[in-house]
Amino acid sequence: MSALLEVRGLAKRFGSLRALDGVDLDVAGGSLTGLIGPNGAGKSTAFACIAGAEKPSAGSVCFRGREIAGTAYHRVAALGIGRTYQLVQTFADMTVLEAVTTGALLRRPRLRDAVAHAEEVLAFVGLSEKRYRLGRALTIADKKRLEVARALATEPALLLLDEVMAGLTPAECRDAVDLLRRILARGVTVLMVEHVMEVLMPIAEHVVVIAAGKTIFSGTAADAVRDAAVLAAYLGSPLEHGEIAGHAP
Amino acid sequence: MTAKPHLYALGAIVVLGLLAAFGLHEAVVLDLVFTLLLYAVLGQSWNWISGYAGNISFGHAIFFGCGAYASALCVTHGLSPWLAIPAGALAAAALALVTGFPTLGLRGHYFSIATIAVAALVETFARTTPWLGKANGFELPIASGWAALQFPQKGPYVVLALVLFAAVQLATIALERSRLGYYLRALRANHAAAASVGIDERRCKLIAFAWSAMMASAAGVLYAQYTLFIDPPSTLALAISIDIALIGVVGGIGTLWGPAAGALVYVVLAKAVALRFGGAGKGYDLVIYGAIICLIAALRPYGIVGTIVDALRRRRGAVA
Repeated sequence: MSALLEVRGLAKRFGSLRALDGVDLDVAGGSLTGLIGPNGAGKSTAFACIAGAEKPSAGSVCFRGREIAGTAYHRVAALGIGRTYQLVQTFADMTVLEAVTTGALLRRPRLRDAVAHAEEVLAFVGLSEKRYRLGRALTIADKKRLEVARALATEPALLLLDEVMAGLTPAECRDAVDLLRRILARGVTVLMVEHVMEVLMPIAEHVVVIAAGKTIFSGTAADAVRDAAVLAAYLGSPLEHGEIAGHAP
Repeated sequence: MTAKPHLYALGAIVVLGLLAAFGLHEAVVLDLVFTLLLYAVLGQSWNWISGYAGNISFGHAIFFGCGAYASALCVTHGLSPWLAIPAGALAAAALALVTGFPTLGLRGHYFSIATIAVAALVETFARTTPWLGKANGFELPIASGWAALQFPQKGPYVVLALVLFAAVQLATIALERSRLGYYLRALRANHAAAASVGIDERRCKLIAFAWSAMMASAAGVLYAQYTLFIDPPSTLALAISIDIALIGVVGGIGTLWGPAAGALVYVVLAKAVALRFGGAGKGYDLVIYGAIICLIAALRPYGIVGTIVDALRRRRGAVA
């Protein structure tokens, strides 16, 4: 399967801080790929660079065979990449239906068509009953669901989900996983950032681990948890001590 | 969603206005009605860029001035004042695009600052430019009839203001039900999230600003034809820009009827307070008017219509 998204040598500097320093990742069409890494590894920055919210300092982002690094943020959505935010960014004074309609207007300029599509997406994510609620009056779980709905309404080929599970109760997490499976079944490719590995393990075919701004692992989830470099990055590593002890001159 | 209640309300206002225009002969009352409609148009014009799009303009008088000066220039050069409607609109839109292009994509208050600066610049330019009448402004030669857009009675002016008001309200009803309207509200709420669903901030806001400027210009044409005298203080001054912004804020930012409500409060309150406490050069009327504005701002920050909308939402349970 050819990759829908190919990222090579992605780098992002903020002044002298190297937030990203060589991120490589591939997302196969139709798959769910997880992007994980410890706190401060650069996951959200990588996301921002792929989605166009930040301009990468170096490297390439190839989407559907087309170089999109540095493309204006609003154009990336039109190319077919939707996203959610780690900290929810709702349209506070819009109702749920209005917010999702706003997303749907990207491909359906006529309001009537956009509303109809938004209704369909709301039914799909299970927010239909709350369609007349204001975005700011929703629970965290529903706000995250609303962000997913808003992004889905733009009919993306690739959906970037930034910690959609964070802050959810176990029951809400199960609902979210169920929603993810249905999104994949719809034919949407998903790249998701998760801080918590256990959430990703059962659903991601492929995971990419980054640490200190670099890709340190790429492979299956099962292999990831056995990988020495990954464990070292996550645990600050007893292995390293062992290595030092074992190989001390 | 449905526009019907708004259309009925607008229809009722138009009928009432026409009854006033043809039935009433008291010049003072007709003058009040005309002023009210004109301010409602200016408030709505401001509301497009500052209410729906959320970029507060403190220089809206210059767009009003574009229309007023276009009218004065046309008439004094022997051209039809009707020509001033497109000419003023063109000038106002151009001014809006030049002001908005570098500033509407920026975060923070750069746009508001730019509007103040450009307004000051335009006012000074008009004050010092011979072909714009310098500080003296223009007196329009007296004429009569629809071709000259001048009338001996006030009735036809009220009809014209009513037509303009209805047109602006209809355009706003259409805006609220259009992609542009949704996009502006989304941008006001959260520009980053708006970009993530493909909204081009600068493009949307420039379009809104240009329309906003053109509406204000149309009001300016009507004003010049009504007073037959314009000069920088009466059409371009910062005080007028602030009045326009106040009307928008008091009525309720980003609401269809907010500007009309704000204009009603402004005209009735300003006139009532002026009649009761004004005169004798003591300025009590301004103090009282200012205090009332402060009270509204402190107690009802969403304005009159914003408060009503919120109450309706609460009743429907939209807000937990």
